[in-house]
Formats: sequence, C-alpha cells, structure tokens
Amino acid sequence: MEVTIFPAMNTLAKLQILSGAARYDASCASSGSRREGAPPGGTGNTSQSGICHSWSDDGRCISLLKLLLSNDCRYDCAYCVNRSSNQVPRASFTAREVVDLTLEFYRRNYIEGLFLSSAVMQSPDQTMERMVRVVETLRVEERFGGYIHLKIIPGSSSELVRKAGFYADRISVNMELPSQASLQRLAPQKEKAAILEPMALIGREIQESLVERKKIRSAPRFAPSGQSTQMIIGASPETDFQILRLSQGLYKKMNLKRVYYSAYVPVSDDNRLPVIASPPLLREHRLYQADWLLRFYGFTAEEILSDDAPHLDESFDPKTAWALRHPEFFPVEINRADYGTLLRVPGIGVTSAKRIVAARRFSLITPEGMKKIGVVVKRAKYFITCSGRPFEQSLHQPAQIRQQLLLGEGSGEVKLPRQLVLPGLYA
Amino acid sequence: MVKYLCDGTSDGTLSAIGLILQEHSDPGLVTLSEREDTLFEEGMFIATDPLKAEDLFSRLKEKAPDAARTLYFFMLAEQEGMANSLLHYIEQALQHGDKVNGYLTHPAVRDIVTVSRKAARELHRMKGLLRFEKLRDGAYLAQMEPDHNIIQPLAYHFSRRLRAQHWFLYDRKRRTASSWNKGELRFGTIEQFTTPALSEDEKEVQAMWQAFFKTIAIPDRKNPRLQKSNMPMKYWKYLTEKQGE
Repeated sequence: MEVTIFPAMNTLAKLQILSGAARYDASCASSGSRREGAPPGGTGNTSQSGICHSWSDDGRCISLLKLLLSNDCRYDCAYCVNRSSNQVPRASFTAREVVDLTLEFYRRNYIEGLFLSSAVMQSPDQTMERMVRVVETLRVEERFGGYIHLKIIPGSSSELVRKAGFYADRISVNMELPSQASLQRLAPQKEKAAILEPMALIGREIQESLVERKKIRSAPRFAPSGQSTQMIIGASPETDFQILRLSQGLYKKMNLKRVYYSAYVPVSDDNRLPVIASPPLLREHRLYQADWLLRFYGFTAEEILSDDAPHLDESFDPKTAWALRHPEFFPVEINRADYGTLLRVPGIGVTSAKRIVAARRFSLITPEGMKKIGVVVKRAKYFITCSGRPFEQSLHQPAQIRQQLLLGEGSGEVKLPRQLVLPGLYA
Repeated sequence: MVKYLCDGTSDGTLSAIGLILQEHSDPGLVTLSEREDTLFEEGMFIATDPLKAEDLFSRLKEKAPDAARTLYFFMLAEQEGMANSLLHYIEQALQHGDKVNGYLTHPAVRDIVTVSRKAARELHRMKGLLRFEKLRDGAYLAQMEPDHNIIQPLAYHFSRRLRAQHWFLYDRKRRTASSWNKGELRFGTIEQFTTPALSEDEKEVQAMWQAFFKTIAIPDRKNPRLQKSNMPMKYWKYLTEKQGE
C-alpha cells in the first residue's frame, strides 16, 4: 500500500487559500533562462522562449505554480486582499509541502516551475529566509532544474537577496504603487528605499555575474532570467505619463526585464481607495501597449505622452494616437523605409516589419504582396504607400483617418481588450 | 513543361526532388506530383531512393540550415499534394540560402513555410499541454491526438526534462508511442492499447491541480473566449484540469 503524499486534506485547503491569495500577481513568464538538460539524477530544465502550460478561466496563461508561502500578513496595505485587518482565512505552507507540490506537478507536466511569494510573517528577514529555504531544498536536495521565480520581501537583508538570486531564475521586488506619496498613504509599512535598494542590488549582481561568466563559464549564475516588478494601476492618482516614465527609468537604469501592470481589483472598502465598479482593464491594456512601445519599438515615454496630455487614449492604441498627432511622419514607403520607421506604422508590429524587410530583398512589395507575406493592412493602409502609390485614395487628414478608424471598429465603441500580454513570448 | 511523378512518401518525394534538381538546369519548368495511378495520369515516375533523399537533406542542411528545419517540420505535418511546392521551395532554398524563408511572395515558399509553421506551433503548444498520469507501476503515461506527427521532437524535449522518471507518450491517432527509461529513448507502435491502472495517489494529485486551476483565475476578470483562443478545445480531452467540466 502506497503512502499518500499529502497527509491530510490540509494541503488542499492551504493550496486553495494560498493560490487564491497569489493570483493578483500578474507575472507568469517562464522565459529568458536556458538550462539544456535536467541536473544529474534530478528533474527539470528551462526553455529560452518559456512554455505556457494552461490558461485559466480569466484567459491568463498558467506557466508557474503561483503560491504564497503564507498569507498571514502583519502589514496592512489598503489595496491588498491579505492586509492584516481583512477577515480572510489564513494559512502557511511548510517548506516540504511547497517542494512536494512543485515536484508532483512538474512530473506531470502541469507547470514550468514555481513562483513563490509571501505575506510578511514575523519580519521581512524571517519570511525571506523561509522562502529561500524552500528553493534551496528544491535545488540542492531534490536537484530540481525547472524554473523558479522568487519574490523579494522589501526590507530583507542583502545576504538573503543574494542567496535568492543564486537559486532562482528570476527575482522580483514589487513597486506596488507608482509613487512614494501613494506608498505612504496606502502601504505605510513599506518604504520606497526598501523597494529600490534590493532592486539596485539585484541589478548590480546580475551585471557582475554576466561579466564573470564571460571570463569563466562555470561562474555561478545570478537570476539568469533577470528581474521584474509590478505596479497596481488605478488604486492611486498617478497619471499614465508618470507611470510610463517610471517604467522607462526602471528599464534603462535598473535593467529590468519586465514591468507588470495590474488593474486594481476592488478587494477593500477602505476609504483611502477609489470606489470602482470593475478593475480598469482597458487602462491596464493600454499601459501594456505603451510598455511594448518602450521595449520593442524604440519609443520614449515623452513621445507617447506629455504633461499636457498625461493619459493614454481610450479609443486608440498608443501607436495610432502618436501617428495621428504626427501626420508629417507619414506616409511611410513600404519598399524603402528602414526597420525602425516601419515599426512606427500603426498596425505593423515586429513580425510584420521583419517580414517586409525580408521580402524586399527578393522583389518590390506590391499591395497584393503585403497580403501574401501575411501583413494585415486594415489599420496600416492609411499610413503607407507601396512604390509611391497610396493604399487609400482620399484620406490624408488625421481627422478623416481618425473617423475612418473609429468607424472601422464599430463606431468608437471600445471593445474589451483581448489580453495583449503574451508572457511566454517575450521575457 | 516537364512532368514528374513520385510515390508521395517523404523519401519518395525528396529523392525525386534530388534527381530533378540534378538533371534540370531550369527547375522552374518542371512540375512534380504524387502518383495517383489514374488512367490518364501524365508524367514520368521517379522511383524512391532513400540515399538520394538523405543526400538532398544534408545538402540543404549545409546550405540553408533554417530551411532544413522548415522542411523537418513540414514533414511532420504529413500534408498530401504539396510535392510541387516542396520542389520549388527547395530549389529556392538552395539558391538563396537561409533568407529563403523571407521570400513569402513566392507561392511555393509561402505554402511550405505556412504548413511548417503550424506544425512547429503545435509542437510548442504540446510541450505545455501534454499531461502525464502516474501509473500503478510508477511509470508515467501521456496521451494525445495532435494534428501533426510531433511525437519524435516532443519525446526528445521530455527526454531532456523528465530525465529521472520512466515515461511513455502515446499518440492515439497514429498509434505511435515513445518511451523513456534510464537514459534510453525508444519509438514504436501500439496496435492494441488498453488504458493501464493509475497509481493510488494519482487522483489526489490531480485534485490538487484542479483546485489550483480553479482558484488561480481572478473571478472579476473571467474571459472564456480568451481562454479558448489560447487553448483550443480540441486539446481539452486529455487536460487534467478540464476533466469533468
């Protein structure tokens, strides 16, 4: 008779509480790290492009077993479902429980690895230490080679941060809110310095490890998949411009791989929080679009927004909004424009721009050819020419194009965004 | 126009293409199709020569490794009636090297690249969607019915990943199987398949996963359409988290 792995119903109940409490963390990427094969005698490797294993009922990808080690929090952050004043059932896993769940799920190919975060139990250091012990057990005792994303608890010692980066593929410190003022108001027990310091430390360690590994291939890796962070959108009064400039700074100065935006889901009737009927999903979607422009399209935050127009347009994606403000940039000639210029055309993304550049080597591209190479011109047609000939005869004025685009999309009625985030595809 | 016929197997098609490219200075004037043995079929039949097929594949690998990869995935798609496109794709690949895959305005290139891309996409998808169940003897079994014949590269993927366990993959549609045990990867066919008994703790682990799957979704953001477009329903049959829905 085989022994059951999970002793009581207990683990199942804990799993429900502690995955439910972790679901508001948007990060799910499993990419950017590459371990060819499982460690000797062990299980698990990672894939450069990341792998999604399932999609939950909200349509988000599941790639990691996303858990809190505990939701028993001594902090009382207004926006958080786990705040100490909230009446919710509390639970904490033992290290063994998390290790066994990870391994049993991984062996059945349910997951790509583990995402472990936690509420602050007795202290940041005590919590971080327990989290590090989980991944240490996985890596050392169980020889687990799958993906691990570990949250850093703000305020934990640099020694623990270093240890975390040594075992995990990705580590992240959540910004939580886009400004010091909001942090002070909504999360008085968290300090900006306690968030930014470990971020800077992680950035330096990643850089150093990369340099070391160029010299000695066997030098230890530090968070090979980099660091990310998350901000809650719509719980505090910052403008999109402030948020984007913050992200831009994080990408440039701190070398972050990803900034996640999480639409505030009303989980509290605290009077410091705005009263909203539903999470601001469209705003979140537009921020992700703008974030993509920063990372892959060569835009700066100042090109996308300004102090005079600090919010992203609801009716148009940020690239189209930019194009409508810059008629002098258009039309773009498909057969001559360089890659960077093609990327600025609304409706032409990274894939399309690359296909255009590749196909041009063989012959001039005709409007018919655009279809053949799989470039959708529904939106782009107002902004391009093909060998000098326009796609749309009569439209030149931004006002006309604006009108046409709105008509083409069901008279300005904004469709609920389909999620743009493809966590598996890009870091 | 010169017309040729081949037997339609991958070896047969490739050896015919190899021969045509050797004999004709202008393959643009040649067509190749699969023999159907109808009365009025026109064209000269080229017999299968595995050596010739292998020869062509290594030439392609040397001159255009990306195109050889495209060809590999194209073959997994088991598409019929595309011998002529394949002939002209390979002709272009040998001429232009790896940049051929960007020549999507060429109809043959587009045909082959499109089919190949689909097979590659399903392989990537199955790396995530395949589900193993633990059997009574401690081995793990995953069943699937993919559109493309991807068992070989899929098994290779898991041989790197789930190294420490004994497992089987079974393609129910093609009755092909693969097994991994103690460092040995094997392929074969299973004509009579009976579902083996599960390990005693299997249902418990599955219940855990189903519970996790349910709670990880944010109720305020329910979006079944998005879920289905990312994870088409044809794959739900073997998904542990979608059982009993």
